[in-house]
Amino acid sequence: MSPRADTVAGIQPPPTAPRSAPGWRAQRRRAYLLGLVPALAVLGAVTVAPAVYLLVTSLTPLRLVNPETAWDFSEPLRNYLSLLEDERFRNSVWIQVKLSVFTVGLQLLAGLGVAMLLNVRWKFLEAVRTTFLIPMVLPPIVVAIIWKVLYTPDISPIHHFLASIGHPQGAMITSPDWALWAIIIADVWEWFPFTMLMLLAALQIMPEEPLEAARIDGASAWQLFLLVILPLLRPTLLVAGLFRLIESIKAFPLIYILTDGGPGTVTEVTNYYAFLQAFNFSYLGFASAITVVMVAATFLLSWLIIRMVGLEVEVE
Amino acid sequence: MAERGARTRRGGLNRREFLGMAAGAGLLTAGGSRLARAATAPTRLAAAVGGAKPFAGVTINGAMFEHTFSAVLKEMVPEFEQRTGMKVNFELQAFPVYNQRADLELSTRGSAYDVLNITFIYSGRWIGAGWFTNLEEFIKDPNRTSPEWGADDFMGGALAVFKNKKGDRFGFPWLGEAQVATIARPDLIQRAGLKIPETYDELMKVLAAVHDKDGVKAYVAQKLHHWLWIHFLHGFGGNVFKDPPENLTPTLDTPQAIQAAEFYGNILRTYAPEGVLSYTDDQMVTAQVQGRANISMHSLPVEISLADPKKSKVYDKVAYVMVPAGPKGLFPGVASHGLGIPVGSRKKEAAWEFIKWALSKETIWRMVKERDYTSSCRPSVLNHPDFKKEMTKNGVDLVALATKVFEISEKGGYMKYRTVPVFPQVGDKINKAIEVVTTRQMSAEAAMKQAQAQAIADLKRAGVKIDS
Repeated sequence: MSPRADTVAGIQPPPTAPRSAPGWRAQRRRAYLLGLVPALAVLGAVTVAPAVYLLVTSLTPLRLVNPETAWDFSEPLRNYLSLLEDERFRNSVWIQVKLSVFTVGLQLLAGLGVAMLLNVRWKFLEAVRTTFLIPMVLPPIVVAIIWKVLYTPDISPIHHFLASIGHPQGAMITSPDWALWAIIIADVWEWFPFTMLMLLAALQIMPEEPLEAARIDGASAWQLFLLVILPLLRPTLLVAGLFRLIESIKAFPLIYILTDGGPGTVTEVTNYYAFLQAFNFSYLGFASAITVVMVAATFLLSWLIIRMVGLEVEVE
Repeated sequence: MAERGARTRRGGLNRREFLGMAAGAGLLTAGGSRLARAATAPTRLAAAVGGAKPFAGVTINGAMFEHTFSAVLKEMVPEFEQRTGMKVNFELQAFPVYNQRADLELSTRGSAYDVLNITFIYSGRWIGAGWFTNLEEFIKDPNRTSPEWGADDFMGGALAVFKNKKGDRFGFPWLGEAQVATIARPDLIQRAGLKIPETYDELMKVLAAVHDKDGVKAYVAQKLHHWLWIHFLHGFGGNVFKDPPENLTPTLDTPQAIQAAEFYGNILRTYAPEGVLSYTDDQMVTAQVQGRANISMHSLPVEISLADPKKSKVYDKVAYVMVPAGPKGLFPGVASHGLGIPVGSRKKEAAWEFIKWALSKETIWRMVKERDYTSSCRPSVLNHPDFKKEMTKNGVDLVALATKVFEISEKGGYMKYRTVPVFPQVGDKINKAIEVVTTRQMSAEAAMKQAQAQAIADLKRAGVKIDS
């Protein structure tokens, strides 16, 4: 259509709204940026700069006894190539995958189950709800010590009870078949309150209309849960799961106190392996390379999960 | 808490300096005033007369790992502070935590600590890297160290690891550990009609005969296999390295090493309490003092509490003897830990004053007489009749036993593996291999071959030359 095609003789087009002062939007953008600069500067100093230094260090054979190796870039990829041949690193990745899958899955299941049970308007349950948070608010080292006591046959009340009824059990934390499960159980106990809180909050703000509609249509409790509640909870489940996935990759206190990565390397996750390399052996360059790989894998995994699961919700 | 400060080093900035400068002028000011006080310390010391407190206003920071000695020393620090006017911030940390933190702290050559424990297995690394102060100038100056203090009154074997190749001293020992066999219930062995084992064959017979008698497990250990297993390795004719410290090619996959791993793994699997692979020193000793476990082969200072009537149910029975001999002989382990001054300390005078006090004959004697502490590295203390009387338990002269262990070690020279800078890496592989063998995840041969391959990879990463 030509610019004046809609003009009919004698009828003037309505006056156009006056344009904003030139550069106002640019000024607004500048103001926003200026407001963000302090935060970005702090973020840069606290997060980006150390991350860049980590990456730089991963390209060197830095060892504390040879500080000059901090700037040795003669073979920048040596640490990464070394990782490809490192069987213990590959094992640690597999252990990490197992730990993350089971801990995150069980925390979501346990959190969801308890949240569903607590999602009742009853003063007593509202009071009891707080006690479920205790494991999560304890310092991680205290949690580890509690489970060390529970897992040590000499002093464990559980072991003593089982022995007294004629079912003595071996020590889980020194069994190659059960040590990882010992870590998983302790970790789920510690962190299911986190997922429970998030899911309970989501349940409590869930709109009632789709639920009522489903009930009126004759949906059973199971159908209600599967086809209405769960889809509505999907974004919360995704966020909670992602939080816990990232935290599971940083698993440390339980392994340090309970198993030291053993027996052998059956509970040695990648994070712990990096810790040993950095702080027991002082191979900071090599440990940095392991950490860079972990960070990259975490980002990639998070992105993939968000893409696959998505955040949109459809309820039919 | 230890104060942190920035320090400019000749030759450019290190990582710590960069961060310290970024922290701002306030830290520099605090560091500057501490520097000023430290610089005048010799003047203060020299000017101390008529009861004046020579180190008034000086604060030093020290750290050690938790041990009976360090716990007792910490209790006595207020007396030192009262006498000298010095303030001492003294931290105790668990053994592995202390070593990691000290390693990191020393590597920065910073001034956060003035006195640090020199841990045996890190002594070669820490002193070799130049992270501790050469103490010769302090020792040889009669204004700083009186001859009565007795710088030569330390066991040669215990002091050796704190010297460099020239013989200069970088630390002084507070503990000399002799590895012995501790038998919490020798009466069970007698009841079985056997004698205390002196060879590996006798050991196996005894273990089989006494296991689970009176509900007592025959053997107990803790998880530091790279300390507790090595005398078996040597006993079967193996070694950790080919010829330490000159040739650091690991030798973990030799037939002797495999045999030793199988032997020890079998003992732990068959005769030790459930969960022994996760045991710390405390758990091991507790099992023995409570009469739940019998034989162990650890260092005497760790095991001495079994003879304490206030703590032990077996105090009147426990026997301390030499570890059994293998086919290739007797190789009881020795270790020593000491105190030194980090090279970055700005209060070396004050730090040396603290070390002199902590390791003085007077302090050691007071610990023995007043605090039930029963260890010393000073021959003048060890050989004193009162100390020998104190250290005779159930008829066994423990001073003579420990001295014999040190003599065997010095003569055999087999402990050199332990103080090479790269031992922690190889020690980790040994720990993992023993765990894997004990839990039957792998055969001894496969486990030790894996340990060998991993040790070689690690040592190459450290720049160590390995035989092809």
